[in-house]
This record gives sequence, C-alpha cells and structure tokens, in this order.
Amino acid sequence: MNKLAKKYLRPSQIPTKACHGCGIGMIENWLLQAIDEMGLKQDDVIFGTGIGCVGRQTFATWGGDNFGATHGRALAVATGLKLAQPDKKYLIVVGDGDAASIGTSHLIHAARRNLGVTVICEDNMGYESTGGQFSPTTPAGYVTNSSPYGMVEPGFDPCDVVKAAGATFVAETTATQWHQTVKIVKKALANDGFSFVHVRFPCNENFGAYALGTRDTLKNLEWIYEHTQGRKADGTETDFTWETGIKHDASNSRPEFSKVLRDMNARVRADLAARAGT
Amino acid sequence: MSTLEIGVKETLVAPWPEWARRATRGRRLLEAGTYALTEGAIAAGCRVFAGYPITPATDIAEYMSKRLPQVGGYYVQCEDELAGMHACAGASLGGLKAMTATSGPGFTLMHDAYGWAITNEIPLVVVDAMRVGPISGITGAPGQGEFYIARYASHGGNFETIVLSPSSVQEAFWLTIDAFNLAERFRTPVTILTDQVISDMWEDLFVPEDYDALDFVVPRRHNLMMPFYPVGSADLDVPPNVIGHGTGVCVSAYTHTEEGYDIEEMEAQWAQTYRLINKIRHHRDQLTRYETVGVEDAEVIAVAYGANARTVKTGVLEARRRGVRAGFVRLITLWPFPDELFARDLPYVVCELNYDGQLVREVMRSAPDGRTVRFMGKSAELHTVAEVAAGLEGVARNGRVPELPYIWTEVR
Repeated sequence: MNKLAKKYLRPSQIPTKACHGCGIGMIENWLLQAIDEMGLKQDDVIFGTGIGCVGRQTFATWGGDNFGATHGRALAVATGLKLAQPDKKYLIVVGDGDAASIGTSHLIHAARRNLGVTVICEDNMGYESTGGQFSPTTPAGYVTNSSPYGMVEPGFDPCDVVKAAGATFVAETTATQWHQTVKIVKKALANDGFSFVHVRFPCNENFGAYALGTRDTLKNLEWIYEHTQGRKADGTETDFTWETGIKHDASNSRPEFSKVLRDMNARVRADLAARAGT
Repeated sequence: MSTLEIGVKETLVAPWPEWARRATRGRRLLEAGTYALTEGAIAAGCRVFAGYPITPATDIAEYMSKRLPQVGGYYVQCEDELAGMHACAGASLGGLKAMTATSGPGFTLMHDAYGWAITNEIPLVVVDAMRVGPISGITGAPGQGEFYIARYASHGGNFETIVLSPSSVQEAFWLTIDAFNLAERFRTPVTILTDQVISDMWEDLFVPEDYDALDFVVPRRHNLMMPFYPVGSADLDVPPNVIGHGTGVCVSAYTHTEEGYDIEEMEAQWAQTYRLINKIRHHRDQLTRYETVGVEDAEVIAVAYGANARTVKTGVLEARRRGVRAGFVRLITLWPFPDELFARDLPYVVCELNYDGQLVREVMRSAPDGRTVRFMGKSAELHTVAEVAAGLEGVARNGRVPELPYIWTEVR
C-alpha cells in the first residue's frame, strides 16, 4: 500500500474489485495527492458517490465518512447533507451515468445553487459495469454493446452544461494527465462553491475492447492522450479533439448555497427579534 | 348526533390524548390540515424540508418556507421529488430532522430514496396527501389509492414500513409529532398517509405554546460508534448514524455489513433483512394506533381511515339510531397492519376511497372468515352518512350491501 493510501484509505476496502488496468484507482490516488497537498485530514472530507463502476469501486475506500447514493442522486443527498454539515469539504466522485445521464438534473441545479461540493466525474465513456453500453458521453459513431452499428446520438459535454448552469469552477482532464489533474482538483476543492472536474479514463474490458478493439491499458490510455492532442502518434489528425484544462474559474465569486440560506435565516430571525422587542 | 347521545363506547388508542393533557398552554386556531402537519413537524424538531410543490400538499411547502427560517431551519425547493427525499435523507444523515410532503405522483418518484432511507435506517417523515388517480387523476379530489404503495414504498422486498393516517386537523398535528418520534426510535422513514380533504380542510386546532417544553418529543441522538448497523438485531432506540462527526460511517445502496461495507453474501443479506423486518414486527405493540366505537356489542363493524372515516363514523351512529348494532374501527396505523383488530368473527364493511379495493383485502386476510368482509368503495368523494347507514343495515339484515349509485362492492 502506498503512503497516501495508508494515510487516507481503509486497508480492508482496497484493493477494490476494479478490473485489471482500470483507471479508477489511479485517479483516486491523484485525488489523495491533492487532498494531502492541501493539508486536509480524513475528518475534513466527506466522500460521496453513486452507482456504476465509479460508485462501486470507490465506495467505502475513503477512510472518513462515506455515502454511496442511489444511481444519480449523490448530489441530491449532498444538497441536504451540506445544510447540516456546512464546514466539510465534499468530494462527490461519480461516473458519466450518474453525472451526465440519470442524475443530470441534480448536477444542473447543484451548479445553479452553487452548492459547495466538488464533483469529480470519472468518465469511462459508457455503462461499463452493465457490460459496455453507450452513455451520453460516448463519442458519436463509436461501437458499444448497445450501439453495434455505431452510436447514432450526438455526444454530450457535461462541462458546457454545468458552466451554463452557473458552476463556479469547471475543468476537464484525463487519466493521462497526472500533474494537471492534481492541480485542478486542488483548485476545485479550494472553491467554496460548486466545482466540476471531468476526468476521462479508459475502460479496457468494454469500451476499449468494443469501441477501440483492444484490452491493452497502455493502448487505451494512448488513444485518450492522442485525443487531448488532436494528433495520433503517426502524425495524422484524430477524429475529434478534447480540450483539457480549466474551462471556467469563477472560484469564490458568489456565495455558497448553504451560506445563502444561513444568511437568510439570520436576517429573518433578527427581524423577528426586533419586532418582538418593539 | 354524538356517541354520547347514542350511548356507545368510544376508544382512542394513541399517545396523543396523554400529550394533550400535559401540554395545556397554547393557542386555539382555525387552521388547515397542511398547517397542522407543518406545525406538528416544527414542534417535533424538524429543521429541513426539501420537496417539490404538488396539489394538495403544496401548502405544506409554503408554510415550511415561512416557518423554517424562523426556527433556524432550511427550506429547499428541489428540482423534483427524487431530489426532495434524497436531500431530506442527506440532511437527516447530517443530524437534522427532516420532512418532505407530496401527493401520489411525487410519492412514486420518492421510492428511490425511500428504499435508500430504509436500508440505511435514516429517520425522516414523508407526507403523502392522496388524491384520486390513477396518475394525476382529479387533482382536487380525495383518494385512498396508496394504501399498498405506502407499504411497499421501495422495490426489492425485505423490509417493513410504518404508515400512519390522521382524520382531523388536530390529529394531524399530534400524529406528525408521533411520526417523527417513531422515525427516530425505529430508525426508518415514516409515511403520513393523508388525503386531499384532511390537508385542505380547516378545523379548530390547539397548538401548544412552547415547543421546546414538549417532553414527549424524542430528540435526535447520534450514533458515534460501531456497530453502525446492528444487523441481526431487532433493538429499538439505537441512535441514528451521523455523517460529519468523523465516525467513518458508510452509507450505501448495497446490502451491508455492520460497518456499512457492501457485501455479496447470503449471511449478510439474512442479517440485514432480520434487522429491517423485525425491528418493526417485534415492536408492533408500540406502533398500533386506532379508534373504535361501539365494537363491544356490534353485529356488524364498519372499517375506514383518513377523511372518510369521519362520515363513516357518523354513518355508524345513524345505523345505531335505526336499530342496527353497528360498530366502527378507524385505523390510524395502517402499516404494520393491525390484524388483531379483526379477530372477531362478524361481518366487516370496509369503506375506502378507491374502486379497486385495497384496505378491504387486508381485512379479508385478517378476519377469521374473509367471506364475511364486505366492500363499499367510493372514489373522488367521501361516503355519505346515508350510504354507510344503508350499507350497514343491508349487511345486518340481508347479509349484503344494497346497490347504491357510485358504490363499488366487488373485490374479487
């Protein structure tokens, strides 16, 4: 077990049941690095997740308090929890199904309210724990087990959606960008408001095997890396490009949701007290 | 016409008559059922309401949006009912008492969160103000179509639920405090299954002066150590788990160990189910609330709950006046179902606000001879006193409910 895992995770819950070569563990290690570099302790962070590969493989690994919500509802749970425990940092680690499909309405409205949580959307570009069906983040045209003739729907970029909804920090990165991801997560956690970090990672067993034709982790990582560069190793252009990096940084520019409610309560109670006094 | 004039015995088995004797200082108001449900929640210490407006529960949301900030609480108007009940569960996990309120269309959406709250033993209160359906039905008319849905408020089985139903504005107030108390003691969501008439109607209401002085309110406690889930145990009064106190608690949708870790083993499934079912089944004596009138010498008993229990009760007295020895059972606790109230072998006439027959099926199951159980279903409108009296008279004298317009009698 590495030093960070020993410091922050539960020995009994790792390694997880993740498939060989899965990026989830690696990304979690980067999250721990960001937490550690910020000087946060186990008790400072509440770890929330959902259902699917990301939910199942990360739930209960965090050494502090954990919740694994029903599919898509981690942000709905966090909305209530934040009212009761406003001083904690919230790391909501979910997949593309949770964030970009079944739970998108909660994502949008959490962004709109500027709920003080950091969402890490670990995106393996499909429903991989159910055997590899396409999701709203599967690139258009790609073959999955439910798009045998190619995915006919246009893709969906959750970063655009949360930015439009009012998120105060939005960034995109991938499992091929270690240092950039750690820096981004630190900035996200430093924002007292809604932060969204989209991290693409390869699924070797399903997306890799069916869409890309290989279960080789390094080849799948390379495919992601090429799409961040817009260019393949042989110099030809990729079919599309992912722009990674910070997409929007308005950190701490507007009040956090639970604080807005607390401030309103204080105003209401002060008015009541003043009226009772007169 | 009162029970006193007719000369029959009236019994109410519930904790609140005693509470009313203890909390005598307060205000007498003319208020709506939704107001009473709101104030009952505030009195019980509710500090979070998260939900989505829907007729006829909307007024609860509006009252909450005004009252909660005054007492340091939080009103959250969510994007949908899925979010509403999940946010309540989150708030409760953070240590605050929480409630949501809805009607049938929202209640079905809440089942996602309901099962999560059951499994994780999260105390909270859900109000379902029923209207006639299916689906949107008639939004301003009462129904009783969620009797079974409230019992089976999640998929997957392996749980029991607690469901209470008031039949007056005053009772809605006390019963809401009771619902919060039971939620805390049993560590589970409790449903208040009410209807459009009870929520919308105005009646006199006594509200105690000082909520902080109500010594019968069960306060929120925090479970700060293992086991977080006493699987395999039916113990009551285990403090609820809390997130944010550094206990390392784990809460999830999966079958869990006592630490809250997900596990895929038969033994764990058995132990979790034992807990979820038996913490309620083994303590049914602490859950059963009901009212009876004239059951001691009855030759026929009318059964009802909620709003139409009001006209059914008067119908029973009218039948008495006509010489029928009629009795009345009003269920307040709907689930766990109080089988013992139907132990006597005599005809039962079940009056409920649906045509498909829901409560009647449980009475048929509980009664010594299911064939003696009669059904008087009505939909979108309360039973009239005349209908109930005619039904009871018909059963007592001819063994059947006479044909009446808009009364459905077939169950099978």
